[in-house]
Amino acid sequence: MFFLTYLRRELRQRMRQAIVIAAGLGLGIGLVITVTALSSGVRTAEGKVLGSLYGVGTDITVTTPAKPASGANGSGGFGGGPTPKPYVQHTDILTSPTQGPIASSEVAAISRLHDVAAASGGLTLTEIKATLPADNQPPTGAFQPPVLLSVVGAPVGRGALGPLTAAHRKSGREFTAADASADVAVLDSGYATAHHLAVGSVVTVARRPFTVIGIVTQPQGSSPPSIYIPLARAQALANLGAGKVNTVYVEAASAAAVGKVSREISRQMPSATVTNSGTLAKSVAGSLKTTSKLATTFGTWLAVLALLAAFAVASLLTLAAVARRIREFGTLKALGWRSSRISIQVIGETIAMGIAGAALGVAIGFTGALLASKAAPSLTATVQTYNASKGGVGGQLGRAGGIFNGTIGGPVTTFANPNATHVVPVPFSAPITGGAIVLAVALSLGGALVAGSFGGWQVTRLRPAEALASAG
Amino acid sequence: MSNETTSAVQNGLPPNGSDPQASAAYTLTGVTKTYQKGRRTIFALRDVNLTIPEGEWLAVQGRTGHGKTTLLQVLGGLDQPDSGSVVFGDRDLSQLRETQVTKIRATSIGFIFQTFNLVATLSAAENVEAALIPLGVTSAKRRQLVTAALDSVGLADRARHLPSELSGGQQQRVAIARALVKEPRVLLADEPTGNLDQDTRDDIIGLLEKLWRDRQLTLVLVTHDSSVARRAQRVAIMIKGQLKMADRL
Repeated sequence: MFFLTYLRRELRQRMRQAIVIAAGLGLGIGLVITVTALSSGVRTAEGKVLGSLYGVGTDITVTTPAKPASGANGSGGFGGGPTPKPYVQHTDILTSPTQGPIASSEVAAISRLHDVAAASGGLTLTEIKATLPADNQPPTGAFQPPVLLSVVGAPVGRGALGPLTAAHRKSGREFTAADASADVAVLDSGYATAHHLAVGSVVTVARRPFTVIGIVTQPQGSSPPSIYIPLARAQALANLGAGKVNTVYVEAASAAAVGKVSREISRQMPSATVTNSGTLAKSVAGSLKTTSKLATTFGTWLAVLALLAAFAVASLLTLAAVARRIREFGTLKALGWRSSRISIQVIGETIAMGIAGAALGVAIGFTGALLASKAAPSLTATVQTYNASKGGVGGQLGRAGGIFNGTIGGPVTTFANPNATHVVPVPFSAPITGGAIVLAVALSLGGALVAGSFGGWQVTRLRPAEALASAG
Repeated sequence: MSNETTSAVQNGLPPNGSDPQASAAYTLTGVTKTYQKGRRTIFALRDVNLTIPEGEWLAVQGRTGHGKTTLLQVLGGLDQPDSGSVVFGDRDLSQLRETQVTKIRATSIGFIFQTFNLVATLSAAENVEAALIPLGVTSAKRRQLVTAALDSVGLADRARHLPSELSGGQQQRVAIARALVKEPRVLLADEPTGNLDQDTRDDIIGLLEKLWRDRQLTLVLVTHDSSVARRAQRVAIMIKGQLKMADRL
């Protein structure tokens, strides 16, 4: 075929220029692939962290802030706390210091929203075991700081949406519907290991013994509660009314619907804190976040600039090549070649260079992504605690008044919520997807097409008489 | 030139035996072409009137910059006159669209240039083949025509050579083969021997003359060389854009 023969001969003749154009496009494309792979890797890493904070299958969580208590009554529940007495107090309460109550009717209303696949309620509680000095006195040397234990009331039943959705069962069994009113507990494996507990052991929650029926692990990155008990038992022990929860777990019908459902819930419950992957992502900090920002801002701009530079170089070199070949094109016109036919020849040449650039770009991209994966420092994400509440348990205790607000309010804040944020190591890799390769090839060919079109446009403007008279 | 040819020219008959009363290949009427050079207007062609019968060999002479090449470009449809008509056969090139003129060039007009204008990256055969591309000739037919064309200029054995591997005379032969492979009605040659030594010049002119006679071509040849011009049936002189026939000088 004459077209290909001519194309091959021209490229061979102008090998150096062809290499420069292909290398320019290849470099730009390689950067795009590398940056895309980095972004993809960072997104995957973020997804892992967010997924672990969230739980697989949960798209949105809804909480409401606890109302400030005028004084603690020692009975537990929402926002409660012990009141100073003229004698030493030993307290063991199950309370929800940071999250306010949500009625079951509100959970039901959420579950009826359009695009909501499922919604269920849970109770995120803190068991506080403390010995309080008399009359707000400063703690003595023998003072024992309060012991705080995170306890979650989880919906029971196989496959129930809630805090155990993402958990992996290590031993024992899960909750069943028959456990709804039973004093049984599922432990987090970290807590169980630390306290040498196993299936069949007994743990005490709000002075009630619970038999351990299962041990679970939550995904890396989460800050799981220590103990899960049936929701109804948690409601009873926290002295809450029937059906009261403080966390609603929502699964959207599709990923695309998450934002819309979040807005609907916010409209329905104006005082609620509605958290989805977008809002949660903002709470993630650390080198993962920095890398994410680098990849999405600096990296993207770098890739765009490199691409634009490659396109510009390819276009300018093509225009220069056309200028050098004016007499040749004039001769072809004299032979009866249409301008469009000559333009196609020029565009064909740049497309061939684009294909070479794409191949080179994919190779550069793979190498770049591989080097980035190998050389990348270990990433970490700083994430908030399990329930993602602001202020943490201690702060709320202090705010609740009473003894924690006075002499030891500050220290308790620090102690009570040591994991308000925690650092999670995040494994990072920069995967190259088929989509990225297709995008790169399309960009390279697009760039070549742009460059070729400039050349072709110049050819169509060429008047044969002037072209033949040129010195070229 | 043979005695028969000399005799024919003297009688006003084309040496290839075509009838001088035959239909005109070209009829130019009042053709004017100007260029702007700064504030000056240069008349490349000034009210040129010319009829070229089918099968005639017309030589055009004149000093550099007096409009010879412009005349040739207007005849080939490579340039448009500012005014006047350039009737080729029965079609006025000055009134046709670019695509129509391009089609006429592809089918009916062959060009030969002083600098050969071969595509440097293509072989001799591929350069000749390039002239057949606009005609949509099949690949097999193209190969056949190219072989015949190169054979007719004595370069069948150089088909695969690049222009840089050929002498000037050989390159001009390739250019002649390229111009004639599509069997045009008209051959327009712009100083075809200008870059050649005397022996090669005679070879090329001899070849052109043979082809002109054998194929009954209309040949318009621009040349500085009076010895070349004398071999044509008629000689026209371009002076400051005006055309005068030599026998009227």
